[in-house]
Order: sequence, then C-alpha cells, then structure tokens
Amino acid sequence: MKKFLLVLLSVAMLGFCFSATAEEDVTVILDYVANTNHTGMYVALDQGWYAAEGLNVNIVEPTEGATATLIAVGKGQIGVSYQEDVTIARTLAEPLPIRAIATILQHNTSGFATYAGKGITSPADFEGKTYAGWGGPGEEAVLKAVMTNAGKDFSKLNVVTSDGSGFAALKDQVDIMWFFEAWDNIKCELNNFPIDYMPLRDLDARLDYYTPVLITSEEMIADHPDTLRAFLRATTKGYEYAIANPDQAAAILGKYAPDESPELLKKSQEYLTGQYIADAPRFGEMKDSVWDGYTDFCLQYGVIGQKIAADQLYTNEFLPDGQ
Amino acid sequence: MKKHSSVWVFLSLIALWEAYVRLAAVPGYVLPAPSAVMTALITGIPALLPHMLVTVGEALSGMLIALVLALFLGIAMDAFPVVRRSLYPILVVTQTVPMIVLAPILIIYLGFGLAPKILTVVLMCFFPVAVSFTDGMRAIDPAYAHLVRGFGASPWQTYRLVKIPYALPSLFSGLKVAATYSISGAVVGEWIGAQQGLGYYLLHVKNSYALDKMFACVVLIVFLSILMNSGVRLLGQAWMPYLKRKKEI
Repeated sequence: MKKFLLVLLSVAMLGFCFSATAEEDVTVILDYVANTNHTGMYVALDQGWYAAEGLNVNIVEPTEGATATLIAVGKGQIGVSYQEDVTIARTLAEPLPIRAIATILQHNTSGFATYAGKGITSPADFEGKTYAGWGGPGEEAVLKAVMTNAGKDFSKLNVVTSDGSGFAALKDQVDIMWFFEAWDNIKCELNNFPIDYMPLRDLDARLDYYTPVLITSEEMIADHPDTLRAFLRATTKGYEYAIANPDQAAAILGKYAPDESPELLKKSQEYLTGQYIADAPRFGEMKDSVWDGYTDFCLQYGVIGQKIAADQLYTNEFLPDGQ
Repeated sequence: MKKHSSVWVFLSLIALWEAYVRLAAVPGYVLPAPSAVMTALITGIPALLPHMLVTVGEALSGMLIALVLALFLGIAMDAFPVVRRSLYPILVVTQTVPMIVLAPILIIYLGFGLAPKILTVVLMCFFPVAVSFTDGMRAIDPAYAHLVRGFGASPWQTYRLVKIPYALPSLFSGLKVAATYSISGAVVGEWIGAQQGLGYYLLHVKNSYALDKMFACVVLIVFLSILMNSGVRLLGQAWMPYLKRKKEI
C-alpha cells in the first residue's frame, strides 16, 4: 500500500512537472497599483482562463513609471501603458521597441477636476490657479491647448508636480488636478467631496485618446504571436465577464487589491461596464483616427518632433475575432 | 600615483562603461554612454541652471536651520541630562522614518512651496550635526571644565571657553556628513512635489524616457554634494587653522 502511494505520488509529481514546463510564463506589468482598469486580467487569472490557454500569468505592480522601458527590455511581456506614453516612446531619437495591442477603455474618461465652490468650471478660469500633475511630457501641452482654446494664457497657470497627494489637496493646496472618472471621481463621491469636472474629450476631440492600453514588445510580436493571441483571448473573456457581472468582478479584484474599499471597487466597476467596450465592435479594438489625432496634437504643440504612422504605434491583429 | 589611485579606478570604470555600451550596442533608454551623459550635461546647462539654483538654495537654508537647531539642542542636552535622556531616543527615531514616506506628508501640511523641501533637508541634516556636537562635548575631559569653573566661570562661559571649542572638530565632521546629504534631501523633497528644482527636472526627464538627461542631472547632484562637503571642510580649516597642521580636518 505504501509503495503504491509512493508510485502514485511520483507519477503525480512527474505530471506536475510536465504541465509546469508546458506552460508559458507571461509577466504583466501594470501602470499603477491594481485598480478597476485591470479587472479583466485579474478575473482571467482568478478563473483559470490564462492557465486554460497554457499561460502562466504573473501580474506585477511597477516601480513607478518604468513600465514601457521594462517591456522594451523584456522584463515583462505585457504592460499597461497609455497612448500618450506609447506615442512619445515611439518618436524618441531611439524609439522604444513597443506596440499597443489592445485598449482597455474605448474613450478617454479623464479630465480636470476642481473643488466645487471655487468656481473653476472651465479652462477659461485657469489663469492664476495652481495645477498639480505628475510631470508627464504631454501633460503641459494638454493644459496649454485647452487654455489657448479658451483664449487664456497658459503661462499664467502655476504648474506643480505632485506625487501622492489625494483629492483633499484640491481644497487648500492646489486648484486643479487631472482625474480619472472611474477612480478619482468615485472616490470623491464616496467621501462626499464635491468637485467640478471637465472631461478632456469635451475640451478637444483629439484628446479622446486611449488610456490605458496594453502594450507588448516588437520581439513578442515577431517571435510569439500565438502567446499574444492566447493572452488576449483570455483577457477579452475576463473583461466580458466584468461587464456582465460587475459585482462579482469587483469581488475578484478585491482579492488582489485588499487595501481598496470594496465599495469603491464596486462603484467603479459599475461605472466601467459601459466603458470597456462601449461603442466598439469588440474589446480592445483601436482605430487609426484616434492614434493619428493625438499624434497631430503632439506635433502641433511640439511634444514630439516627427510624425509617426498609426501602424507604428498599435495593432489589432492579436485580438480575438468578434463573435 | 598611490595618492590618485581612486581617480584611476574611477576613470577605468568610466572607460569600461563606455566600451560596454558601444560594443554591446546598448540602447540609450536602457543605459546611456558616459559620453552621451556628458553631452546631455553640457547642452543641458541652460535648462539645468535655474533648477540648480533653487535646489542649492533649499540645501543651504536647510543646513543653516539644522545647524542652529543642533547648536541649541546640543547645548541643552549637554547642560540638562534630563533633556538628553528624553530627546535623544526621539532623535534616533526620526532618523528611522524613510524620507520618501515623510516627504509627501510634509506637502499636505506645507504645500508645494520651498518650505517642505527645506524641512526635508533639515530633517536629514539635523541628526548628524546634533549627535556629533553633543558627543564632542561629552568627550571632553571633565578636568578642563572644572578648571575654568574653579576660576569662577559661569556655566555659559564654560561652554564658550572650553566645551564648544573642544567640540568644534566633531561638529564640523557632523556638518560634513550633513552637507553631503543636503542636496539629496532637497532633491527628494522636489521629486515628491515641486514646480522647480533638480528633483522636478529629474521627474520630467524620467517621464520623457530621457535617461541621458537623467544621468546628467545625477552627475550634477553628485558634483554639488561634493562641493557642499568641500565647502564645509574649507570653512572648518579657516575656522580652526590649528587643526590643519595636525590634519585632523
């Protein structure tokens, strides 16, 4: 009997070894701490859909802001980035070898937020105020553009970079911040902190760019296209599940983001059900016009020095076909 | 030759680095070559200069405040053992809080101006100065103090004539450590939230994937830190020429 068990155990272990080697390791590097933008990937991981595709997915949170570089040098296979970063990274003198392979949200759901009661409701009110941002290369161009459109002088806006100060700073420390509806706006709502909000896409149509997007390296595209297809198949399933079951999806995400309040995750998830696919034919699909629009915007405001074709920035070819 | 051995090691390392980047064709967003960093530094001087002035200003103000505080507290701790017993452990604790955690909190209270950066410098510089100063005074041979007291010196005169001069070399070595930290302290404060300064510049070039400019800024920070350190050393030599001969400073 003992011998039999031993044999059974070794067979099981042998089988385990084989299945482990058969799986392909995929490291996903997020753009920030785990949040509702990443839900679909956590669902796919939690439900075993990546494993079913033969992928051993490991999701890591990044050291701040280096995701695109980490993907470029192969420290991870899939990264969460933004159209802004991809555009800038691709137009450097030495371009990063990366591409966007899916967008997580179809529209730019970010914008400028101010404390309600300060009476700052449009870029026309920005002069003489203080804006706190993260110091991104395209950020000042956006501010400049929306203020110029409103006939105001950008040089009269006080710009500071800030890391880590929450929405409460809007009351006393600063006047304007860049908020993401699915996260910051809902946080304010839950904390009864009244804000005025100006969506970017209403200020300039070219600012309705993709944020966030999934990126990969050119090496992955050339050498492992099937891995990318398998990853996006399972990921699409994850996001479709999140759209159909926001409450369960929030609960799954909560397992991986235990420090966030379940209420925030739930509300944010409900909001995003309408944003993951929105008006697109399928999850992740991107359009030339959106990439070209932002490229033109960056050229106009001198953020990038040269024009770049949309197919140098993104591809839809690894997305699963629509049903 | 022996005297300059560190220079040779340094130069060989730079040469190795340059050769590696060139031979292995390492892309600039992974590791810029030293030559690229120097080019970025030279061409970047006009952009760096205003930021540098802000950072140096913050570092100097922070150092000065830390010094004044350390002198006062040092004497208080030396004169009243109860002050020493109650404050010293707290001072040690303040040094164990990671500055990267403290800096964003300072911004919540003090805003985005110069104050939180100067305070960051003070918090980093105060400890080495205060500790070396009080330790210097404690190390004095009690006979010296008894001697002047015997001649009728008041407690303050005892400090002025014996204890402070005796602790000066140790105070200056604390200041040298603090001076080396001061620039980095200001940069940490700026990195967390600022509208100018080298930390602000670093954050911006990092977000633009401009690693050569980032390294150039780091070179400048290293240079400034060494300059601060040498400045304090020269000040010490001018103040205490009697020690220069003994090579104690």
